[in-house]
Amino acid sequence: MIRTNVVRLLAPCALLMSLSACVSVTSAPAGPYKIGTATVTLGHEWSDISAIMFARPAKVRLLSMDGPLLNRLYVTDGLAPGEFMVKPTAKERPTPTYRAGMAPTELVEFVTDSVAALDYQRVETDNLRPAKVGSADGLRFDLKAKTKEGLDISGAAQVADVNGKLYVVLFLAPSEHYFAAELPEVETVLGSVKVG
Amino acid sequence: MPRVLRPRAKGLALLAAAVLAVAPAGAQPRAPHLRPTDTSDEGGIWALSEKAELAARQSVERNRDPALNAYVTGVVAKLAPEYQGDIRVYVMDRPFFNAQMAPNGYGEVWSGLLLRVQSEDELAFVLGHEVGHFAENHSIEAYRTLKARLGATMAVQFAVAAVAMGAAVNAGSAQGANDIMRAAGALNDLLYLGQLAAYFGYSRENEVEADGLGFKRAVAAGYDPAAGASLWRSLIAETGSSSFKRVRDQEARANIFSTHPVSSERVKALDDLAAKTPTKASTADRKAYRAVIRPHLAAWLKDDLRRRDYGQSLALIDRLAAEGEDQGLLTFYRAEAYRQRRGEGDLELARKAYAQAGTYPDAPVATWRTLGDLTLQAGDRPGAKAAYETYLARAPQAQDRWLVEASLKKLSEGSAT
Ligand SMILES: [Zn+2]
Repeated sequence: MIRTNVVRLLAPCALLMSLSACVSVTSAPAGPYKIGTATVTLGHEWSDISAIMFARPAKVRLLSMDGPLLNRLYVTDGLAPGEFMVKPTAKERPTPTYRAGMAPTELVEFVTDSVAALDYQRVETDNLRPAKVGSADGLRFDLKAKTKEGLDISGAAQVADVNGKLYVVLFLAPSEHYFAAELPEVETVLGSVKVG
Repeated sequence: MPRVLRPRAKGLALLAAAVLAVAPAGAQPRAPHLRPTDTSDEGGIWALSEKAELAARQSVERNRDPALNAYVTGVVAKLAPEYQGDIRVYVMDRPFFNAQMAPNGYGEVWSGLLLRVQSEDELAFVLGHEVGHFAENHSIEAYRTLKARLGATMAVQFAVAAVAMGAAVNAGSAQGANDIMRAAGALNDLLYLGQLAAYFGYSRENEVEADGLGFKRAVAAGYDPAAGASLWRSLIAETGSSSFKRVRDQEARANIFSTHPVSSERVKALDDLAAKTPTKASTADRKAYRAVIRPHLAAWLKDDLRRRDYGQSLALIDRLAAEGEDQGLLTFYRAEAYRQRRGEGDLELARKAYAQAGTYPDAPVATWRTLGDLTLQAGDRPGAKAAYETYLARAPQAQDRWLVEASLKKLSEGSAT
């Protein structure tokens, strides 16, 4: 999804000035990375490409190493009931919405449906397991999906409902090479989520 | 297909290709086995259609079940024996009502359509309608109309833009899903569709004609004459059940567009046609058709729920349940729709529906886990315990077993104190 928007952003911009002036890709250096009430610790430097996300919800950030087609690390601030990871483009085309009182499997469903709403196909989960986010109980799971062109995508996700707000970390990358290459770093990030 | 139900970006690409298609328009249907020379302009457009076909063949969304594809191909063969070898229809897993055919004979039928037709007779009518557009070269007429209106240069520019838009969707662009929804959006975005229809739609006359041709082909092949009108009625009813006012209102407002798809006039025209031919009973036909799509029913219902128009999904599920088959599966998905909608009283409706689903042998195993969750939320601890235990007994390998076991442990600790 990002590619098109890059193109859309660049096309008019390129006429005017340099790339960096148009699309603000910023550095997210190793160390604490804060989004609202959530903090994760990055093991190495990432690029913060949130600015090029299409209709980005305010509480969602997107980091990448090699561009949005090759690795995406979504980190959210605590989503309140009624909020979402993917912004709807019209009222009659709603996207998955976090709701109060969701059961654990519904939180997993929220993430997988959000991944589907990002235009990934055949999204499946595996290896659901417990996780800790601070002192709160969370869930860890793996994802498999495909791009429309048939590229195999792997994912790692963690969700935790902390005091009625949902904190999500989601990593998506092509199964071949890119997923495994960042997985150790992603494991570190998943384990580092702090709330408050 | 009715205009409002088919357009989407890729459909536009095909249509753009279609409008520059191979055969001259005229009173005569196209000759079988027609192929333009490679060096002609038409040949170039044909090549474009072939490119779109290749993308469809390779798409992840393509349903590769050989039995299902052979079935659809078989229905087309019955409807259009003279175009044997000219027409290839692929099944795509996309939860919208859509069928389309390019001038090179490549067609798509989407799972959202296969889920909504209730018998082979209804499917035959829809496919016959598409064959009708193909045989009569309606796309050429549409292109000529466009050309007359905009002038040749603009018309070609428009066609090129539409092709580019289709390519963007094929590229799995960001917005692919949104574009498809906006466009397929039948049901969704009438303003957008209205603009496109104004430039590029089949005319209302073409649609009515294609209905008539679809009817003729279907009846000649031995299908139920009442099927076409019955299908359009179901679609109108489902649109009217939408959760979104804007979608529901489309039926009422749709007449202002000249290419309005499923108008009451079209239904009446089909009723009139059917009145001249005896209607045959079709309960057995509906059961036979259900047997064909049964292997995909669960996956397609799940896809349908991802549109998050629960009003429409519930109307669809009610219709699918009318024959009394697949009650466990359908009741489960009804419960899923209530649970996901989560409006006033919906969780209670969901809980009851999961409980009811569990009384049928074909209920998916997730029925009991979700029933456990909702029963626990409703404060019925013994009920929750029973549901969770049934779940674990039926799905001992479930990936969330540890989670359910933890809930059970809490439940037994709670009752011990
Ligand atoms: Zn049509």
